[in-house]
This record gives sequence, structure tokens and C-alpha cells, in this order.
Amino acid sequence: MGTAEFFQHLMNGLTLGGIYALIALGYTMVYGILKFINFAHGDILMVGAYVGLFVFDLLRGSSPLGTWTVVAFFLAMLISMAVCAILGMTIERIAYKPLRRATRLAPLLSAIGVSFILSNSAAWMLGTQSRKFNYPFDNSSINLAGVIITPHQILILVVSLVMMLALKLFVDKTRMGKAMRATSLDQDTAMLMGINVNKVISLTFAIGSALAAVGGILIALDFKVYPSMGTMTGLKAFVAAVVGGIGNISGAMFGGILLGLLETFGVAVLGIPSGLKDTIAFGVLIIILLVKPEGLFGKVEKEKV
Amino acid sequence: MFNFFLLILIYTGIYALMAIGQNIITGYGGMLSLCQAGFFAIGSYATAILSVRFGWSFWATLPVAAIISALFGLLIGLPTLRLKGDYLAIATLGFGEIVRNILNNWDSVTNGPMGIQKIPMPTLFGLTINPYKKYAFLVMVIIFVIIAYILFQRLARSRMGRALTAVREDEIAAQSMGINITKYKVYAFVLGASVAGIAGSLQAAFSLSVTPGTYTFMVSVMVLCMVVLGGMGNFKAAILGTFIIQLISYFPQLTGLSSVIPPQFKQILFGLILVVMMIWRPQGLLGREEHTYGVKGGK
Amino acid sequence: MKKSLYVFVALVALFALVATPMFAQGGGEASSPKIGFIGPMTGDNANYGVLSNNSAMLAVQHFNAKGGFDGKLPVVLVTEDSEGNVEKGLSAIEKLSSADKIVGLVGPVFTGTTFAVGERVQNEGIVMLSPSATHADITAIGDYVFRTVVSDGLQGEVAGHYFYENLGLRTIGVLYAKNDYSQGLYEGMTASFEAAGGKVTIAEACQVGDKDFKTQLTKIRSANPDAIYIPNYTAEMAQILEQARQLGIKTPFVSCDGFSNPDIYNLAGNFTDGVVYVGPAKVKESKKYSDFVAEYTAKYGVGPDSFATNAYDGTNILLAAMNTVYKKTGKFDRKAVRDAVAATKDYDGVSGIVNFADNGDLVAYQGLYKVNGTTPEYLGTYTVVDGKLIQID
Repeated sequence: MGTAEFFQHLMNGLTLGGIYALIALGYTMVYGILKFINFAHGDILMVGAYVGLFVFDLLRGSSPLGTWTVVAFFLAMLISMAVCAILGMTIERIAYKPLRRATRLAPLLSAIGVSFILSNSAAWMLGTQSRKFNYPFDNSSINLAGVIITPHQILILVVSLVMMLALKLFVDKTRMGKAMRATSLDQDTAMLMGINVNKVISLTFAIGSALAAVGGILIALDFKVYPSMGTMTGLKAFVAAVVGGIGNISGAMFGGILLGLLETFGVAVLGIPSGLKDTIAFGVLIIILLVKPEGLFGKVEKEKV
Repeated sequence: MFNFFLLILIYTGIYALMAIGQNIITGYGGMLSLCQAGFFAIGSYATAILSVRFGWSFWATLPVAAIISALFGLLIGLPTLRLKGDYLAIATLGFGEIVRNILNNWDSVTNGPMGIQKIPMPTLFGLTINPYKKYAFLVMVIIFVIIAYILFQRLARSRMGRALTAVREDEIAAQSMGINITKYKVYAFVLGASVAGIAGSLQAAFSLSVTPGTYTFMVSVMVLCMVVLGGMGNFKAAILGTFIIQLISYFPQLTGLSSVIPPQFKQILFGLILVVMMIWRPQGLLGREEHTYGVKGGK
Repeated sequence: MKKSLYVFVALVALFALVATPMFAQGGGEASSPKIGFIGPMTGDNANYGVLSNNSAMLAVQHFNAKGGFDGKLPVVLVTEDSEGNVEKGLSAIEKLSSADKIVGLVGPVFTGTTFAVGERVQNEGIVMLSPSATHADITAIGDYVFRTVVSDGLQGEVAGHYFYENLGLRTIGVLYAKNDYSQGLYEGMTASFEAAGGKVTIAEACQVGDKDFKTQLTKIRSANPDAIYIPNYTAEMAQILEQARQLGIKTPFVSCDGFSNPDIYNLAGNFTDGVVYVGPAKVKESKKYSDFVAEYTAKYGVGPDSFATNAYDGTNILLAAMNTVYKKTGKFDRKAVRDAVAATKDYDGVSGIVNFADNGDLVAYQGLYKVNGTTPEYLGTYTVVDGKLIQID
């Protein structure tokens, strides 16, 4: 394998990993606070992509690429984030909140139910065909000494990095973030300390869902918009979150990138048949869970008697 | 119409076997496993490959399907069972996906995405149990369910069932009582896997063809839902839950509504039922079966 | 124990309530005959089922608007969801056959399901026309199984020969999906291309639902074949072309009938320029096809893919056969309808002139097209006889 090809695979792996990381951040956010796998995350992402697509097309009209399309894109993203935040909070209120004291199985199944409702409603109302989300900017490839990258790929990596840092700052440094961490440690104690736990959880879902909207729109630029778009990518992103140590924000980023690189290099270097990409992802998941059940960056939770 | 109803009953029986397996794993063992579809697939493919390639009779493939599934149960169970709750769910989910991915890609053995066709019909004493005619097949499936029910019910009341209950309720306490946690967990997992393998074998004999597309993650979710809906830790409830879920998923077809309402409706309905069920009755319709050990006529 | 008894009684009551109207309905022979459609209507592959079902609905609508059988009896279409798998496909055909008592079936869409359902219709004696099950062995199931799509055998053969002889390609790289349709085409093309003397130097697979093909494309780029063959579905091909462009791949692409869905030009834009594909034979000077596409698109908001086009013809052939039988005998005997379908001669459909071979395969030719910008240009119609490529038109 030539140097150029090696670096091309590296680039492909990084950007694929960026996509996983982008979604994994939302998963990890909710899991970190609530210890609960939000199976509907991938479907919220899909809703976000559809909202973004419709608003963007409406705002853009037929104007050519330029400043306005970029502005329209960000407006669409903001609106989609708001819609998804509200959707996320509503879902939490209806389907998860009554289950906070139930066994772990109950919210998991409830989330699977929500996922069913969202993806099938979308298929019913919007049709099953793929829709194109036009790039709001010129996406011609850039050739760096034989290694080719698109502006969109750079955007994905930058956004996931920025999102990770912003989230970390928010959780570590702000008052609300502190309240979130307290809620995560012990809901009852947090409540006794005067923290409005309901508000904290609602906000967690709002942020997680808004992140999903951003992820959905950025992915849609490359992968198109269709009702089941969140399912497999969502599952892989979730794997990434677990690999990095679920609940850990930088872990999600790292897990995503690692998974993207492994999938790419497993096929490119190790010669694993490309049909077995999914096996690589899930195989890595199982191995990591066995060696380090809390994930690469996770905290070990001591069990008390 | 009647034939269609018989078909639903046969599917119910096949899924009930899987649900019984899931119940010993999740209901008794408290392990959140999401890979019944994987064992189901392994059982199906074992029967398909052995009978089509090597000309084995269905009855010879059946125990092999159960044993291979059990071996995979052991293989995946031994290392993963020390994982807790959600982590176990994810690891097993991953295993189920790997099984399907490999079946779809290992063309020389599984014939890849085309699947395997023309599986011979099972015969018994020279009589063919024809899946098209349904009655005999239904009787066969029901016999399997009854046998599995009785065996597992006895198992649940045995030392093993009590040990699993103890482990589920408080692992550390159970361990300090001298119960070998890993051993019992692995037992439960392997047994649950092998009965799913048998279900897979029956499925192959009924459809007379297997394709990887049948054994998705959705199947595992469905089976888990059946157990939860009926009531965990209760084999009667697992069978009841299976029946109800099958009834729901064939409801539009049974009522003739399937050509009127949009096809997505049944999935949406299924999602709604899951959410509502979890909120109103998370312990399931029947709830856990309470055993009274040793005391006859106790409360 | 008591509780379970209650629940059980309640269930039986519910079931009785639900099933009674059905049994009643099954008893009295309804006046309107029914035909069935089976395809994936939900799940990851729903798009392909939905597109073809739209066609069946459209055909039935036209048929009934003209008065139906003998101008007086309308037909009813019953659609059942296979979710793209054998288990649900079998329950769908069981329901259609025993509850709806269908006369004929259009579908199923996927090869794997079609094998299982085909055995069943053969056993029941229901004539079946699949619009898209391309596997070479499908029609070997029996005499009740027909298809209005070209088998992988023929499409692959024409593709392999044409690529080698007319395009002068000597090495080809393939990017195919691990599903029955795509893999069947890949294998068919490879067999005839290599028999002609060419070589498939690299074959990379992807899973259905994958959207990122950069790893595979980068590998193929390094192998540097004369062309890249992408037998896949419309949305995936659009994705592959776009990502190939992003990677700076200049190698020409060759493709399959999935390319005849006009949606490809919305999704892939001008990345389609220069692609050569094997598609349905050209419908000569007929407004039929363009009218169909226009009406379909206006009605459902998306264009029909080639399978949907086949489904439209398949439904119409079935209805025409039923009409013939009804006019002659006043009823719909399944065997007679099967024979009438088999006797279809030179049916002038939207996908071209349709004839069936003795085994139920479509007697068809393959059209070759080259995309110029976003407009396909017709190159000719071909078939393969005894391993030789013959130009028909």
C-alpha cells in the first residue's frame, strides 16, 4: 500500500469516526446522567434531519450557493435543534419519566417502543425514499498531496470536536452542569440538596436531542435523508459510546474515531472482507467490554453491599 | 382463513420456545440478553445445512442444532456474563448482529444472502409432517412447547431455579451463601440458547428455506417483549405473552384491515403498546410466579 | 392461576370478536375477485416494496376505471407486508390464499422471500408474477411462477459480453451489496466477463443500508481497473458515484437496471455523467413509458424504479389474463388464469413487449444506455444466444 493510499484510508477512517462521534456524544450525554440507553436517539436524529431539510429548502428557495445558503443552513439547524429539543423533552415526560423508579428493563423497552413509533410514523407520513440534502457550500474535494478530503468532512470533524469541548465545559464548569453531575450520582440526594431533578433531566434530554439534530443534519448532507437513517448508524455510534466508556464525553469522541479507524483499517490493512465491517464493530465492542467492561475511559463503579 | 390462523399458532409455538429460553435467562437469571435471534439463526442454519448438504433427517439435525446453539451460548456466555445490566444487553446485541453478518457473508457455507432453499420436510414413522397442511406440524410444535414448558418449569423449582432467584435478587448475598454465581448463570444462558436453537430448527423445517434477513435484532426484541409482557419469571406468562404479541402483530391481517390501513400502522401500534405497557404494568400481565418451597398449602 | 384464567378468557373472547367477520367473509364467495401483492412495506428495505406496490395500485385503479372484468366487475388489490423476510412472507401468502382467496399474486420483491413464497403458490396453484426476483433459479420452482423482470442470468450475461466486446474493458472492479439482487448480478456479470477473457480484478462488498463506501472505493482506486461495476439500488448508487467523485476517481462506472429509476438524477446530480448501464429494452416510439412515469410521479411524489415498472406490467398481465378467463367462463379458475398468463403473447407494456418463455422467465432483451450529463442516451438492444452477444436493435 502506497503512502497516499494509507493516508487516504486514515482520512476516510477519521471522518467516518467523526460521524460516529457526533452521534455518540448525544448517547453518552443522556446515559451519563440517567444511566439509561435512549434507543430512540437515532430516530430523533432522523426527525432532526427531516426538519432541517424542509426548513433549509424553504429558506433557500432557489438561491445559488453563497452566504445566504450558509446562513439558511445554520438557521435550519437552529430550528431543527429547537424542534428536537422539544421532542426529546416531550418523549422523556411521556415515556420515560413514569419509569424512573422501575427496573432497568422498563425504560429500555419503552425507548424501543418510542423508536418504533418515530421511524414508522416518518415512513408513513413522509414516504420511504431517500431525499437529497443539498450542500449549502461548495463541496469540491481538496487534494493534499494525493490525499483527498472534502470541506464537509472537515466540518464534521470540527463540529464534533467543538461539541465535545462545549459539552465538557458545560458539564464541568457551569452550575447546571454541576447539578447534572449531582443528579447522575444520586438523584435522591441531589433532590435533598435543592436541585430540581426533573428540570435537570428534562434539560439533559433537550441537549441530547439538540445534539442529535446537529448530527442528523450533518450526516444527511452525505448520507441523504430517509426514515431508517438513524437505525444502523445510531447503533454503531452507540457502540462507539460504549467503547469509549459510556457517560464519558471525551470517551465518546475517542470511541467514535477509534471505531471509524478500525472499520476502515480492518478492511484496508488486515484484509477482512468488506462485507464484515459490522462484525469488526461489534467484535471490538465485545472484546473491549470483556477486557475493560467500563469502556476505555469509563469509571469503575464499585458495588456496595 | 383457518389455515392462516393455524400458521399464526405455529409461529406462536416456535416463538414460545424462544420466549421460554429468554425467560430462564432474563426472568430467572436476571440477565438482560438480547441475542435470542442469534441462537434462533444458528439452529435454523444447522438444520438447513445438515439436511440439504448432508442429507440428514430433520430429527437428526434437531439435537445438533440444540447442541451447536448451546455451545455458542457457552462461548458467548462464559466471558460476558460478568457484565452487568445494560452492558450485557449491548454485548449480546453485538453477538446477535455478528451472527447475522457472518451468515450473510460466509457464502461457501451459508450461501450468503440467497439463503438455503428446498429443505426437506420432516418425516415421522414414514409419514411426512407437511408444513403446507399445518395440522400435523402444529401438533408437533405444541408437543415441543409442552415438553419445554414442563422441563423448564421443573428446572425453575429445582436447586438451580432457587439459586438463580437468589442471584437475581442479591448477587453478593447469594455469593456469600456459597452459591457459584457464574456456574448457574452460564447454565441458564446455555439452556436458553439451546431451546432457541430448537425453535430455529423448527422454523427451518416449517419455512423450508432460510435467509439471513429473517434473524434480525427485531426478533430478539420481540422475544424479550413477549416475556416482559406476560410477566417475567413465569413460564405460563411467557407463552401467554407470545400469543398476545403474535396476535397484535397479525391483528391487521386477521381483521382484514391490512389492506386498508397503512402498513406502518402495526409497527406504530406495537411501539405504543410497549410504552403503555411499561408505564401501566411493568411487571407484565401475570407477574412473577411465586414458588412456595417446602411448605405445602402455604399462602 | 385465577388471573391467568381471566386473561385467557378475555383473549379468546377478543379473538372471537376479531375473527368472526373474517370467517363470515371467507364463507360467502365475494363478488369481486382479489389479487395480492407481497413486498417489504416496512423495515429497512421498505422503499422497494412501496414503489412496486404503488404500481400495482395504479394498474388496478386504471383497470377498475374502465369497468373491470368484462366491463362490469371491479378487482380488489390486497397488499401484505413481507418485511423483506421469509417468515412474514409466508404468513402473508397464507393470509392472501386462505382468507382473501386471491386469484393471482404480484410479488414478492426480494429473491429470498420469493423462493419460499414461490414454493407455496406452486403448491396452492396460485399464479405469481414477481417484478424483481432476479435469481436465475426462481422460475425453476414450478409452472405457476412467472416474472416480469429479466433474470440475473441474462442481465449479467449481456453486461459481461457488452463490457468486454463493445466497451473494450479488460479489467473491472466491482462494488456490490451483500443482498440477493446485487450479488446475483455481480456473479452473473463476472462469469460471462471472465469467460469472454476479461478479469474482475477486485470485488468489494458492502452491507445493505451502508452509506459510506470510501474504504471500498479507495481500495478499488488502488487496483486501478478499466471500469467499476456497481450493481446496486438507486440510492446506494447515487451515494457511490458521489463519494467516488469526492475521492477523485476518474475511472468510468458501469451499472445495472437500478439506474433506470429517474430518481438517480435527483440524488446523484451530474455525477452520473458517462455511466453506461444495462437496463430495460427501449420502448420504441411509445409514449406509454413516459406517460406512466409522469402519472406515477404526479401521484406518488417519486419516480418508479425499473421494478415498479415491471410490477405495473405484471399487474396488467395478470388482470388481462383474468379478464380473458372471466369472459370465457364467467368465473376465475386459478388453473385457467395461470394458463392465460402463460399464453400472454406480445403484451405491449410500459417496459416493452412482454413474452414468457416456457419456464415462466421473461423473454426479453436488454437495453444499453450511456448517461450524458443527466440524460440517458440509448445505445442499442442486445441479447445473448449460445454465449454470443447479438444486437437486436
